[in-house]
Amino acid sequence: MQRKPLIKLKDFSFSYEKKQNPILQNLNFSIYKGESTLLMGGSGSGKSTLALCLNGLYPEAVEGFSSGEIYYRERNINDFESGELNQNIGIVFQDPESQFCMIRVEDELAFTLENLSVPPSEMRSRIEEVLKQVNMSEFIESKIHELSGGQKQKIALASVLLMEPELLILDEPTANLDPLSSLEFIELIGELQTKIDMSILVIEHQADDWLPLINRVIVLNQSGELLEDGSPSEIFTKETQRLENQGLFLPKQYTGAPTRKRIPSLIKNAQPCLDLKDVAFKRKNKAILNHVSFNIHEGEFVAIVGQNGAGKSTLLQLMSRLMQPNEGEIKLYNTPLNDWTEKELRHVTGFVFQNPEHQFITDTVYDEIVFGMKLNNEPDEKIESVASNLLRAFHLTDHKWSNPFTLSGGQKRRLSVATMLDETPGLLLFDEPTFGQDAQTTNELMKIVTELKMKGTSIVFVTHDMDLVDIYSDRVIVLNEGSLAFDGHPDDLWKNDELLAEARLRKPYRLEKAGEAVDLVNQP
Amino acid sequence: MISSINPSVKGISILIPGILLSLAFDVITPLVFLIFILTITFLFGDVSIKRWLMFFAPLSLFALGLAWTSMLHTNEKYSGGELLVDFWWIDITTGSLQVGVSLALRSMCFISLSLLFALTTDSTKLMLSLMQQLKLPPKLTYGILAGYRFLPLFKHELDLLRQAHQIRGVSRKKGIRARFGRMKRYLIPLLANAIRKSERVANAMESKGFTGDRNRTHYHEMRVRSRDWVFLSSMVAALIFAFYLSYELGYLNIFGRTF
Repeated sequence: MQRKPLIKLKDFSFSYEKKQNPILQNLNFSIYKGESTLLMGGSGSGKSTLALCLNGLYPEAVEGFSSGEIYYRERNINDFESGELNQNIGIVFQDPESQFCMIRVEDELAFTLENLSVPPSEMRSRIEEVLKQVNMSEFIESKIHELSGGQKQKIALASVLLMEPELLILDEPTANLDPLSSLEFIELIGELQTKIDMSILVIEHQADDWLPLINRVIVLNQSGELLEDGSPSEIFTKETQRLENQGLFLPKQYTGAPTRKRIPSLIKNAQPCLDLKDVAFKRKNKAILNHVSFNIHEGEFVAIVGQNGAGKSTLLQLMSRLMQPNEGEIKLYNTPLNDWTEKELRHVTGFVFQNPEHQFITDTVYDEIVFGMKLNNEPDEKIESVASNLLRAFHLTDHKWSNPFTLSGGQKRRLSVATMLDETPGLLLFDEPTFGQDAQTTNELMKIVTELKMKGTSIVFVTHDMDLVDIYSDRVIVLNEGSLAFDGHPDDLWKNDELLAEARLRKPYRLEKAGEAVDLVNQP
Repeated sequence: MISSINPSVKGISILIPGILLSLAFDVITPLVFLIFILTITFLFGDVSIKRWLMFFAPLSLFALGLAWTSMLHTNEKYSGGELLVDFWWIDITTGSLQVGVSLALRSMCFISLSLLFALTTDSTKLMLSLMQQLKLPPKLTYGILAGYRFLPLFKHELDLLRQAHQIRGVSRKKGIRARFGRMKRYLIPLLANAIRKSERVANAMESKGFTGDRNRTHYHEMRVRSRDWVFLSSMVAALIFAFYLSYELGYLNIFGRTF
């Protein structure tokens, strides 16, 4: 059967600078009507760049260089008027914070319609109609910045649907969402697929939840070349090694649930390291945390989970004295947190932020690592030996003199942890450190964390990833609306369906597979 | 209600008296006009007095300070008249008193005019009206609107940076050089992120078919209605009345010339 392709790439290459290695190299493939394609590739493989090339924004928007051709319905995309192609190929992007230009939902949706020169008299009804499609009708008057991440992404989707695109590109739309919102979004796409006739191209490196929707997989390698193209079952069963080499998460449906590596703490009868008693925190008279009490023992791995806005980050900031509680007391090694000098406190505790760039303060990787030791006037010999050990352990020796901002995502993550380790800290706090990272980076990080735990460091991990909680944590704390809703062994949490639903948590894959938890979303 | 006046017309209605009032060096003209602005602000502006004072009080304090200084250092051209106060190094004549009081009243006029505009105008409507009435290019209009959404994000990010750097021990260093270095360290990640974010927004906007073309329909058609003209003319009429009253009473003084 001779089908006409919707999009056809012919020897397409793209680079940002003329002399640089291309981000995308010699791509040849077609996308047909009605197909639902998953585009995979490790970080830096040019997936997002490809999306912007397909709808004609690149290379002009960045003054990049391309060779080869892209055809839309057999017409070269360079022959389209500006703005014309965008209406046929809609994109929902990753970051919910930077996709909008208006304040209210209604105005944002109208912005799309205005671009299409739709008569104003038709706008209101079309806006109402599209909001109904994405189940957001009651938010028509809402301000966008007051919506949750998941709701924002649905609005981004709605504003793209208004163009009635033939191809919908989803560029990691759920990467910044909590697990349940992410699942909701994917189910919404599945629902729309049955109602609207459009092809879908999903860009994603964690494919699990998308599998039911897709019928084709395309994989790009690190140099932007086509590595695989085929049906999901074919690619995820036969080519597993090649995918793992690219740092990709293989869907657990094909690999099976990850094995648990929970390591018992080496320190028996451990002393409490951090002790929180009745800690409360208010912001502008709004309670963020209500009388939270728990403790963390030496060498323990504690995961803190809960939906966005439950108070997890605030709790972490209080534990590290970045903010002061309004009530209650926090003790570190039996000494009130406020009695510690700043220098001592920063010496025995560490904090790894979600965005590694926030932690960088010098111009080279080496300076980052020795910064703390120099500040503490350590002897030169010690600085040199510790620095070279850390550089080696974190595979950063080759980048010793690079600027931290020019490192890859995984290297940045490793460096941000390395800067906390010039002395083995007693307590290390992590704020969603695996967020948006690929499989390889996540695995490397967890290896480092496990080693630290073996040395007796207490680990506190704020995360949305229930598989990490299941595999690594000794204890899990659930925060819900600022209150401590659960404190105990992960296995006991997984049995508490009611609480999981209330705190909007998912079960880890090995339990979800049993098939009951997937329906969580549809419960009232 | 003043909030329903077309923002572009409102802006012009406030600019005209703003510019013309700066010529009046006497006391009566700004006083009469100030009373007029305050009356319409609280009768038709739907502005809470508490909120208004929150802005007005500190700004007018600054204006009073300015007036006080100019009273003490009045240009000889204006500082004629009887000597009223002669205390230590302070000497105030009727001329300089008039200059000082007039300046204070004029500043208060500017402040309350600005507040009348700022507190009754929706930022989105203002930008849309500038585009539709005053032909501001759509690229600029929607660019500014998108940027406006970033301000709170920027503050959040600065807070995070401060914390991350505190963890690293940066804030322990003291002195001006260390402080300067800290600013520099905030600046790079802040700018890097701002550039990335603005690129993303631009891509998202263009992906929704935005080209910057003026030829687009408008969901919120910003019209100039008869009430907008009424507002503009009453502002100008009040200004003329203030000048006239001052002239009748024999106080009118424009650039030092009395009439």
